[in-house]
This record gives sequence, structure tokens and C-alpha cells, in this order.
Amino acid sequence: MDDAVITDAALAARDGDRAAAARFVELTQQQVWRLLVHLADHGVAADLAQETYERAFGSLRRFRAEAPARTWLLAIARRVAADHLRRRARRPVDPAPIQDGDEPLTGTRPGDVAEGIALRLAVDALPPDRREAFVLTQMLGLGYAEAAVVAGCPIGTVRSRVARARADLVEALGAGAENPEAVSREP
Amino acid sequence: MSRDADRRRLGVVGNSDDPARDLTSMGTLDCAACREELSAELDGEADPARRPAVLTHLGACPACTHWREQAAVVTRLTRTAPAEAGPDLVARVLPAAPRPRRRRLAARVALVAVGVAQIVLGALSLIGVAGHGGTMLGGADMAHMSHETAAWNLALGAAFVAGAYWTRHLAGLLPALGAFIVVLGVLSGLDLAAGRVEPDRVATHAVLLLGFALALVVSRTGPARGPSPAPRALAEPEAGPEPGPATAPPAPASRDHLGPVARDRPARREAA
Repeated sequence: MDDAVITDAALAARDGDRAAAARFVELTQQQVWRLLVHLADHGVAADLAQETYERAFGSLRRFRAEAPARTWLLAIARRVAADHLRRRARRPVDPAPIQDGDEPLTGTRPGDVAEGIALRLAVDALPPDRREAFVLTQMLGLGYAEAAVVAGCPIGTVRSRVARARADLVEALGAGAENPEAVSREP
Repeated sequence: MSRDADRRRLGVVGNSDDPARDLTSMGTLDCAACREELSAELDGEADPARRPAVLTHLGACPACTHWREQAAVVTRLTRTAPAEAGPDLVARVLPAAPRPRRRRLAARVALVAVGVAQIVLGALSLIGVAGHGGTMLGGADMAHMSHETAAWNLALGAAFVAGAYWTRHLAGLLPALGAFIVVLGVLSGLDLAAGRVEPDRVATHAVLLLGFALALVVSRTGPARGPSPAPRALAEPEAGPEPGPATAPPAPASRDHLGPVARDRPARREAA
């Protein structure tokens, strides 16, 4: 996925090119959706993705391509997720979240499924800051500098959050069972 | 934390009798810093300047060496995990995309011109009939009637000019203007037939018609509204003081919220 192609599509869409707008959505929607699945939850990701694009199109006039359009869009998605979580926190009755992640994935070996589910649960259990840094860099493939722009924090912060997320995952996935004290968080 | 990590390393490995020396000497990393470097390395973001210190640390710290292997496994697992495909949103979000601007800009400029023309007409009618007077009609003489007409024409001219600038408000002008044009059109036709008005006078109403058409173009080709209310805010009315019949019933199950949202949002109606 080429950042330059995405940015070109965004700039053309800004000037009213509807086909370019469709291309911009096509090229980015999987990443936006994946980010939202992990920052919010599976059940609302589609709605939040739609809200992300509506916000993005609404402020596209002010987009000057100072950052790649993908980074700009993901930063909007992140704000949409944060707004959603804030709204949900204000809601007096919070319906129990249903984990769609428990559904089996098609076209994969059983071993992959089990690993995939364990990984997803472990990722979702990470503290929000670490989860965000991990999803941006590992699942969306952003560089640390891009992830820092999306998350609005210094690169060094992304770096350490990713490392801590990895440490948490190593611990959670039991990869260190043979050598527990090596990864134990307590001295 | 880093001191803890360092002590842990010393406890596990026992390679140094002097923790202070380990922490202060050049090129030495504690476990936390080492693992951060190892993590960055997995992402191709390692700092080459710290590479020697990492190697030194790894040579003396089996725990970090082991962690590196585990972290690599987790990383590979993450990157090879099957990615579930999300929904295709193109049709849902495209109505919000910006619309072509050139035609719209032309329509706005033309609307300003029409507004100015309308103001000029209003001002002319004010001057032209200033000397008249005499016949009383409905409690006002002709001069006052024409003052009212002129005021209305001037107001419409101002509305066109302002609407060309603040295009968001233009849509609000359309119902009143449309009704005015329809009534005026019917009455003008009757008056023309009965010879109560010169065709020239009726022709000036074409300016209004043109202004209406342009206002319609500008408001219909406008960009989508900015940040829209959250989908949930529409689907589930806040527990506020507006339980009117117009609001959608609260979604009973959280899975069902997509349905009502899809019906509520005007943007999606366009897509359908």
C-alpha cells in the first residue's frame, strides 16, 4: 500500500473527484477498520469507520498533505475511537461487550485459529497506550515516526510502548513458560 | 524500574559485583533498555549507536537473549495472523465526500451578481416611485406600497449575496423564496393577461427566478456537513428531556444498532 498513491487520491478527492474519494476509501478502509477494532471493539468498528471517513471528508478541505494522508486519516480514526470510548464511559448502563473475536476464522488451519484468538485476546488486554502503539506498528505496519504522528506523542514513547507491549504479550502468550523468571515483571 | 530490572539481571546472571558500575559505565544497558532496543530491532528501528551495548548486554544476560527469541516469535505470530476483512464502506461514506467545486464556485459568483442586480432593482424602484402618491390602498398610499416592495427586493438581494458567502444558510432561504416565486408568477400571469402590468416590469422578476435557481445549485452541490453527530447519538437518544415520537426507539440489543442508524442517516439515504 503506497502512501503516495493514497495521498494523491486524498488531494484529488479534496478537489471534488468522486472516483478518487472512492479510491481513497478502498485503499485505507481495511487499516482504519482494523485500528478501530482494536482501539474500540469489533461491534462498533464499522460505525466508527464510517464516522472516521465522514469527519475526514468534512475536513479534507483543510488537508494540505503535510503528513501522508494515511497518517492523517488514522489520527482521525484514533480521535473517533477516543470520543466513542468517552461517550460510552458517560453512559450509565454499559451493555456487556460481546466478543465477536471468538468466531472462528475461515480458511485457516486450526492451529492458526487458536493462536490467532489467543493473540487477539492478549492484544486486546494490553493497556490502551501500549495496545495503540502495538497495533499501529505491528498490525498496520506503520513506522515509529508515523505511529508517533498518529498517536500524537514522541517517537521514543512509541518505541518504549511497543517494547512493553511485546513484553506483555510474551508473558501473556506463555512463550516464556520454560523460563518464567526471565520474563517475570516482579523481581 | 530500570534499577529493578538491572538487579534482576544481576540476580539471574550474577556477572557483576558492583551494580553502580554497571549502571554508570559507558555502553552498558539495563534489561529494560536492552529489550527496548531488541524490540526496535524487530521493527527495523534500532539505533545503530547502541548496537555494541546491546551485544555486550546479550553476551552477559541469558534472560534477555531468551526474551529476544520469544519476542521474535510473538512478532512473527502477529504479522502472519490472518487478517479478518472489514466491511466495504465505500458506498456508505462516499456521499460525504467533497463535491466538484468549479461549477459551484461559478454558481456562487453568479449568485452574488444576481443579488447585486436585485439590490439595484430595489433601489431603482425606490427612486422611480418617490414622487408618486395619492391613491390609498389598504391603508397605505402607492408610495408606501412601493416602499414595502422595494424593502422586500432589497432584502432578497442581500440574502442572495449573503447566501453566496455563507452557503450553509442558503438552504433555509429556499422554501420562502420558492413560495414567493410561485405566488408572484401566478399573480404576474393574471396581471399580464388583464393588462394591469407592463411586460418589462414582469421581466425584472426573472432575476428572482435566476437567483432561486442558483441558490438551489449552490446548496445542492455543497460539501457534506462537517463533523456529524456520532452514529450512536442518533440511534440511541440520550436520556435527555426530548422523548418525542420523532426519535428512534432505543436499540434493544447492541447488535441491532446498525439497522436504525442506517435508516436515520441522510447520507446513507443518498447512497441507496
